[in-house]
Amino acid sequence: MTTDQHAVPGDAELAKMSRQEKATAGLAADHVELDEYGPVAVPGSPADKRNERGVALWFVLAALLGLLFAVAFIWWPHEYVPAYQDGQLAYALYTPIIGLTMGGAILCFGIGVVQMARKIFAHEVAIQTRHVGMSAEFDRQSLAAQVMDTVDQASLKRRGMIKGSLALAGGALGLVAAIPILGALIKNPWEERADSPLWVTPWAPLADGTKIRLTQIDGTPVRPEDLAAGSMATVFPGVPGGSKASDAAVMLFRVRSDSVIRIRDGQQGFQFGDYYAYSKICTHVGCPVSLYEQQTGRVLCPCHQSQFNLYEGMFPVFGPATRPLPQLPIELDNEGYFVAARDFIEAVGPGFWENGKFPAWYSEPKEATG
Amino acid sequence: MSVNDTPPAAEPPRPRRRIRRRSKGMRRITGTMALLLGLTAMGFAFAAFTAQAKEATTATVASSDAAQIERGAQIYQTSCISCHGQNLQGVLDRGPSLVGVGQAAAYFQVATGRMPAAENQAQMPRKEPFFTPEEIDDIAAFIQANGGGPEIPTSGLRDDAQVAKGGELFRLNCASCHNFTGQGGALSQGKYAPNLDPATDTEIWGAMLSGPENMPKFGDGQLTPEEKAAITSFIQNNKATIDPGGLPLGGFGPAPEGLIAFLVGMGAIVAATLWMGARA
Repeated sequence: MTTDQHAVPGDAELAKMSRQEKATAGLAADHVELDEYGPVAVPGSPADKRNERGVALWFVLAALLGLLFAVAFIWWPHEYVPAYQDGQLAYALYTPIIGLTMGGAILCFGIGVVQMARKIFAHEVAIQTRHVGMSAEFDRQSLAAQVMDTVDQASLKRRGMIKGSLALAGGALGLVAAIPILGALIKNPWEERADSPLWVTPWAPLADGTKIRLTQIDGTPVRPEDLAAGSMATVFPGVPGGSKASDAAVMLFRVRSDSVIRIRDGQQGFQFGDYYAYSKICTHVGCPVSLYEQQTGRVLCPCHQSQFNLYEGMFPVFGPATRPLPQLPIELDNEGYFVAARDFIEAVGPGFWENGKFPAWYSEPKEATG
Repeated sequence: MSVNDTPPAAEPPRPRRRIRRRSKGMRRITGTMALLLGLTAMGFAFAAFTAQAKEATTATVASSDAAQIERGAQIYQTSCISCHGQNLQGVLDRGPSLVGVGQAAAYFQVATGRMPAAENQAQMPRKEPFFTPEEIDDIAAFIQANGGGPEIPTSGLRDDAQVAKGGELFRLNCASCHNFTGQGGALSQGKYAPNLDPATDTEIWGAMLSGPENMPKFGDGQLTPEEKAAITSFIQNNKATIDPGGLPLGGFGPAPEGLIAFLVGMGAIVAATLWMGARA
């Protein structure tokens, strides 16, 4: 408060003042009055001693836990012990023990500090007189002048290099913030036209016409006799990296021969006998659906509880998914192993803008103007 | 109410404002602390109830002789026939045909107490087995003798050296329904994949070979016996492994973890806010 006139003691006066008097004078210069000020308990009284012991107890506990942490960290058996072996419990307790001792030490120290502030430090009620309304005109104008004068003194107006480079840095930082969002728009998904990865999966036959085998995760090709009636196997395209391709996982079902399965229009003959293959990728947001109820024919998605009915041609019967799971046309090759007759006839996985606008497979997509 | 009720004590002098405010703050703190304590205690109680892992020892004998089949037939006549029919052909709306289900199915259903069923419901719950292990083997031999079907082998049920491979196969084939730690999970319309904690090696094999109720069947062509042994070892090894990270919260994954994080975390924030408000 620059405009306030307050008595400030001179050098001689200051030399005579005690520490407490100086503290009080300093507070008074800021218009602070101590309404209540003094020890929490009468010094030396039982209450005072109790307070002291209470605080010390927390610090001792903190010290003890800190030491325990160090001891446990160094000497506790921390090396992995597998199941069925002695010492597994001791190993399993390693993390909780170092966590509890370290956390406990910090917690006890914190409680001790708070208790010290409450029970040992002086109890005070301080009242500061505040002025009413806005600051005086002089205070306000002089403060604004100080700020602006700093800018003037730096003579930023004539320093074009600083201003230019600053604007450049700001722009680049804005780019850093925007690029993770806008960067996805750089690549044109329709660059490869009809061969765009959105339309094509690794199940598409190779250029020389070789059809892709249905294989288990370890690459073993699948024969009809591998599956018992009422079973479901997750199969992958028998190409390098096939089991890692995000759009290629397929569920191969063998239903009981008395089961009646609804075939979607244009997908007649996609099955082989009692064997049906459907994409495992949910048409909602692409989770792997494989909670197969072999009596009801339902396939559940664990993410958002969509349900597809195998007996209804994998149409969704519950949940947020709106499109049926695409069916993979399958047949047997010369050696009796399952192969994909051709790729899916629709895009697998979640919907996208142009999905469904591509009726004639391997012709130009209507929206793919590249 | 007695007649010589003492008159109510004189009103205590109205406490000074400061003291009253502090005690109100203290009440708030103790209230929130009690809430926190209660939540923590609930968590511990939950953990205590879910942590039990029962290791039952059951053996099965696939070998059968005429006398055993005859004993099994006797039990079938008294306990199974009303729902599964005189010739194991099943009864409409009561029980399925048992022709060709094999020893694996019969053993699994009876040894886990699912059969004989108490009532028809969405899914048969696991309960204490009704028959003795010998009687279960008799029934299984009788079912096996009528139509054949998959049998649980007597040895080679485990391959503890292949735990990692078993884990991979478990996550691909089993985890979608039974959860990554074998805790089970919900299916549609009251059905569920059961918790694997009480399952023995033989029961796991029985389930894989027979595909009980809505579980798909995993024949030996799809999962070889070696792969089944690896999966069984993984499941049992998982159960015998102590969680090194403290409370597993039932092993159900993100849902309870998120719930606890929300309750305890939000509780702590609310408690801290109330405390600061009371001190202001």
